[in-house]
Amino acid sequence: MFSKSLLRCSLNRAAFHSSSKRSLTIPFLSTLPQKPGGVTGTPNDAYVPPPPDKLHGSVHWDFERVLAVAMVPLVTLPLATGGSFMTVADSLLASVLLGHVYVGFQSCIIDYIPKRVYGKNFNYAMYLLTLGSLISAIGIYKLETEENGLVGVVTNLWTSKKEEEKQK
Amino acid sequence: MIMMNRIAKTSVLGNILKRGLATASATPRLKTFKIYRWNPDKPAEKPRLQSYEVDLNDCGPMVLDALLKIKNEQDATLTLRRSCREGICGSCAMNIGGRNTLACLCKIDQDNSKQLKIYPLPHMYIVKDLVPDLTGFYQQYKSIQPYLQRSKYPDDGKEVLQSIADRKKLDGLYECILCACCSTSCPSYWWNQEQYLGPAVLLQAYRWLVDSRDEAFSVRKSMLQNSMSLYRCHTIMNCTRTCPKGLNPGKAIAEIKKTLASN
Repeated sequence: MFSKSLLRCSLNRAAFHSSSKRSLTIPFLSTLPQKPGGVTGTPNDAYVPPPPDKLHGSVHWDFERVLAVAMVPLVTLPLATGGSFMTVADSLLASVLLGHVYVGFQSCIIDYIPKRVYGKNFNYAMYLLTLGSLISAIGIYKLETEENGLVGVVTNLWTSKKEEEKQK
Repeated sequence: MIMMNRIAKTSVLGNILKRGLATASATPRLKTFKIYRWNPDKPAEKPRLQSYEVDLNDCGPMVLDALLKIKNEQDATLTLRRSCREGICGSCAMNIGGRNTLACLCKIDQDNSKQLKIYPLPHMYIVKDLVPDLTGFYQQYKSIQPYLQRSKYPDDGKEVLQSIADRKKLDGLYECILCACCSTSCPSYWWNQEQYLGPAVLLQAYRWLVDSRDEAFSVRKSMLQNSMSLYRCHTIMNCTRTCPKGLNPGKAIAEIKKTLASN
């Protein structure tokens, strides 16, 4: 009797949500079917969290914070010295920045393309991010070995402008 | 003596006249309330805002008073949750004038040229009108095991004792009434409420983590060790800004992160 009324209740709930979810999802990305009302099981069941995984929990958070804090001296130093910057420090800045950006985009993907809703598309987004990061790492290597480094690129923005003004 | 009498009489008369003016002949101050309406019996009909006019001269000071006045006098089909009318039950949580708060603790803006919009808690499934479906929220609360867990209790069968300093750690946490104002104001909770626990439940998780009498410390911590339950908090701090009880869920979440970081 109870399960019957429960079934009817969940059926009713499904019937209520007749409006499409399209407005809430990213266009052209396939989504998985969702539970009515976002609720799993009966109202008396507790939510079951994902299995504990420190690598994606506290360790990940610590890593993120260390990168963010390390950015502060690495950015202030070239600003203070006015652009003349050691290659070692410069490559450190570039790689920490890459890690910082990677973690940031990873967070965006978990937030906005969650596995729960997008399934495989979540993995594809992560692969794309990793690929982009690897290409960036190669770019950083080339920048440090063949050119003036990251700080050199930024200082060039100013100097090239000055040259343009001189030409005028 | 006669003079005195006359003065007394005129002043009394004046008072009566004045008071009469204040109640009877004052113009009604009609304020427009625009209220979100959706009826599950007619699911094909889109939700809409319905306007009601309430005379502020003849209404209590709080938004809940106005809502009940509308329900009693104008439209009995208006549906909302309320119970204690004094901010301790958390039933009447709703979005009033763009802010999640308790209708019973929210004063009506006495400027009747401005209209007031009232919506249910944002980004929740709606049962009817101003009543959101909080099933998922309560399931999450249940998942953090909000009860005392320890292996041994005192032999005399009395309460488990706690130092004054340890008790102080619970201040600012135990006052939470689980109205869900903070959780439903959090963008992270909007996007991932099926997996992210949200500020209200995390505040409670911290309340049990710091309780000196509780011994399930490691279990409680390991439950949060994944990317979804806790770490979807991006310190947006809408929770602290909106809490109708003046609590600080954002700080509680930061404290949990600190405890887990050195773990």
